[in-house]
Amino acid sequence: MVYTKKSPALFIIGVIMLAIWFLASNGMLDPYIEHLAGSKKYKYGSELTSIPLYFGIIAAAIGLWQWFGSHKESHWDYYSSTIAGGMFILLIAMLVRWFIAPEIAVISMSMGKIGDTGKYIHKLLGLNYVVLGIVTGIVIVNVFKIPDWAQNGVRLSRLGLKTGVILLGTLYSAAELKNLGGLSIVMIGFFVLGSVGMVLWMGARRNIPNSMGGVLSAGMGVCGVSATVASAPVVQAKSVEIAYTIGTILLWGVGCMFVFPIIGQTLGMSYVQFGAWAGTGILNSAQVAGAALAYQPDGIETLKVAEIFNITRVLVLPIIVLWLAMWYVKREEHATSVNVGEVIFAKFPLFVLGFILLFALSTTGIFAPANHYKGKYFGNTVEQGFKESKLLKDEQIALLQSEADKVQRVDRKAALQRLLENRKIMSIDDDTAIRGLINAKVMSKKANKIMKKAHKAVRHTAKKIKAFRKWITWLFAFGLVGLGMQITIGSMKQAGGQPAVIGGVVGLTKAVLSLVVVLMLVSETI
Amino acid sequence: MSEDEKPTFDRGSALSIFGSDRKEDLMALLFALVLAFFVYINY
Repeated sequence: MVYTKKSPALFIIGVIMLAIWFLASNGMLDPYIEHLAGSKKYKYGSELTSIPLYFGIIAAAIGLWQWFGSHKESHWDYYSSTIAGGMFILLIAMLVRWFIAPEIAVISMSMGKIGDTGKYIHKLLGLNYVVLGIVTGIVIVNVFKIPDWAQNGVRLSRLGLKTGVILLGTLYSAAELKNLGGLSIVMIGFFVLGSVGMVLWMGARRNIPNSMGGVLSAGMGVCGVSATVASAPVVQAKSVEIAYTIGTILLWGVGCMFVFPIIGQTLGMSYVQFGAWAGTGILNSAQVAGAALAYQPDGIETLKVAEIFNITRVLVLPIIVLWLAMWYVKREEHATSVNVGEVIFAKFPLFVLGFILLFALSTTGIFAPANHYKGKYFGNTVEQGFKESKLLKDEQIALLQSEADKVQRVDRKAALQRLLENRKIMSIDDDTAIRGLINAKVMSKKANKIMKKAHKAVRHTAKKIKAFRKWITWLFAFGLVGLGMQITIGSMKQAGGQPAVIGGVVGLTKAVLSLVVVLMLVSETI
Repeated sequence: MSEDEKPTFDRGSALSIFGSDRKEDLMALLFALVLAFFVYINY
């Protein structure tokens, strides 16, 4: 079978991308961009003048070849036929991120804030480029259908999401993981084991087959589709049971993806709180990412927290598979035992190991100093990016010296003393102490200004981390638009009957309980 | 994952162009490493 369609579609997509680049680069879009930005600065200016150029050239060139070239059945034909669909998703992600989402924000703001909430409707409903991208995907597949030439490429979305998750490993520093790791292990341990146990208990009471209960418990407890597939052989689940479980998880996950951000906004949750809640309460990895990005579309802090919880959950998978294997063999006397080790080895999602590999590489300091925190790191030597011109001047030292007596706390006093002696902040601990001193407003405004400069002089943004963030944002945007294109009404209907009831009860319990725990235990900051 | 397969795709499944999750994971890992190398060299 020849997969490549002789269609002008990819070439046209390339031309549209190049047109966007041309209009943006030559200032022809400026009036519209000013309208979208309102009183603020338009955030995507640099993206508009670079990304559509690179991808436009690729799409137009390959599009010409697909349109006029001759194609034969081969692996190359199969894989290259996915490019058209991939570029289609990318074009939609571009249009939604750069134009449609900002336009909706403009319309929403023109309508004023909603009642007592003090928020605009687009903020309250989370109508940002992530949510709108997914919705656009859902509308396209259910209303217009995916065009033939794009069918193959739409199936690239999960690859994009997995690549994004692996790359996320580069963004974590040991400090962040140390703070989040313990919390995520406790929460995930409780909720995963709790959900699995609850599904098995409800399944037994409602008389669903053990194989159905087993596979549903793994899907509801661990991480959705991967867990379902991994646990299926040990409980000897039938195809239809796997399909029901996946349908239930996807239906529940899609609902959560839209509802969680709205609840988070209403409750005014911090990024860390929301990330912890989404990573615990939402069942499937893709929807965890969707909800986290929907909550914080222009930053990655929520996504990072959510993914650490999600990945901790996946790491519990071998334990659950082992538990289900023992549970199933005990309940079904005729069951043939399955080699659990082999199943885990064959089905464990490798991309999780990829995430750990990239995190391990990151901790060696090859992308940014290992002590970086949210992409910023401390460095007070020239090799680490400190500029000698930033050393404090004599008059600045004199001013700080004259006010040094106002400082009472020992650690702050010592940090200030070292700053005065060395003309720069000497350690990360001193930096924290000086920042505390600035926030305490003990000294004069002038003195605070000098200390702020000293702080900025030793804090550097890691360029590689910044670049990784951009790539990750686009990989997720791409993956989530494609994900929307896979949410058909038919796949929703797959969830029905008892599995949906059990899934609904367990999913709701997990979401509500995890929300309560997060609000009670998780602090505002990492 | 035969459950996800639709007759329209005689290679891969309805969710992926790859024949198995393992293959897709490996490709994602490869892409991620290539991108990481690109960022490492260029920034």
